[in-house]
Amino acid sequence: MRRRGVKCSDAFKHICENLDQKLNAPECREIKKHIDRCPNCVAYLDSLKKTILLYREYPHPKLRNKTRKRLQATLKLRFSQIR
Amino acid sequence: MRDRLSEAALIKKAQQGDHRAFAALVRQYQDLVYSFAFKVCRNRERAEETLQDTFINVYRKLKQFDWKSKFSTWLYSIITNDCLMKRRRTKLDAASISINEPVHLHEGGRDERGEVLAQTLPSWRETPLEITLSQELRGLLDSAIQKLPMDYRLVFVLRDLEGKSAEETANILRLSIPAVKSRLRRARVFLREQLNEYMTS
Repeated sequence: MRRRGVKCSDAFKHICENLDQKLNAPECREIKKHIDRCPNCVAYLDSLKKTILLYREYPHPKLRNKTRKRLQATLKLRFSQIR
Repeated sequence: MRDRLSEAALIKKAQQGDHRAFAALVRQYQDLVYSFAFKVCRNRERAEETLQDTFINVYRKLKQFDWKSKFSTWLYSIITNDCLMKRRRTKLDAASISINEPVHLHEGGRDERGEVLAQTLPSWRETPLEITLSQELRGLLDSAIQKLPMDYRLVFVLRDLEGKSAEETANILRLSIPAVKSRLRRARVFLREQLNEYMTS
């Protein structure tokens, strides 16, 4: 890692891979220093975190009872074919 | 009664052909399989089809489970294989967009010493923790993830939505850890780009 002159493009890989984790590791000191001072990198990091948050918050449907029953019936049929 | 047996005991009995033990395993894991399948395909009927196909495959292959990994890791590998096979059959991935890393970060807005002068990248609107996602936003989230090639989509869902480690994701998908990291990076960037206009307008 370069000691001086970390650019947005250098921070980009770290942000996309680790989000804001691992920034306190000694080898990431220069990256952290850059992100702390760069509003574009802060905005980009924020948008990536919000992307993931939106997918996590998406309300997923529950498994329907009729599907559970159909699955049981299908597997029962398989068992009987094996016998 | 069977549900009270430990998971290892259930698996062993099911491997020996005990159908009640197998049914108990199905009851234990059906919600997980369905939830994962829905996150990947974003369609109720397709998730139900994947649920059924997964357990038929588990039934066929259970004797091959060799205890070298957690049972859930092995189960995820069966589901993800099914997703990849189905996707190949539809040939949708052949037409998928290429996943490059669009480095649109501006180096501008700085003086010659690298000091920041101004923010040039638009901020995203706030997303409070208690989000009520609009129908429009849900549609956008669905279509964005459906545009991702399946191998990238699976990495994103396993790592960011299921909370699997890079190592476990690599085991499930039989990829190297650097390949998992690279796919995750690209998937995140791609999805962010897809949502950018909506979230900044």
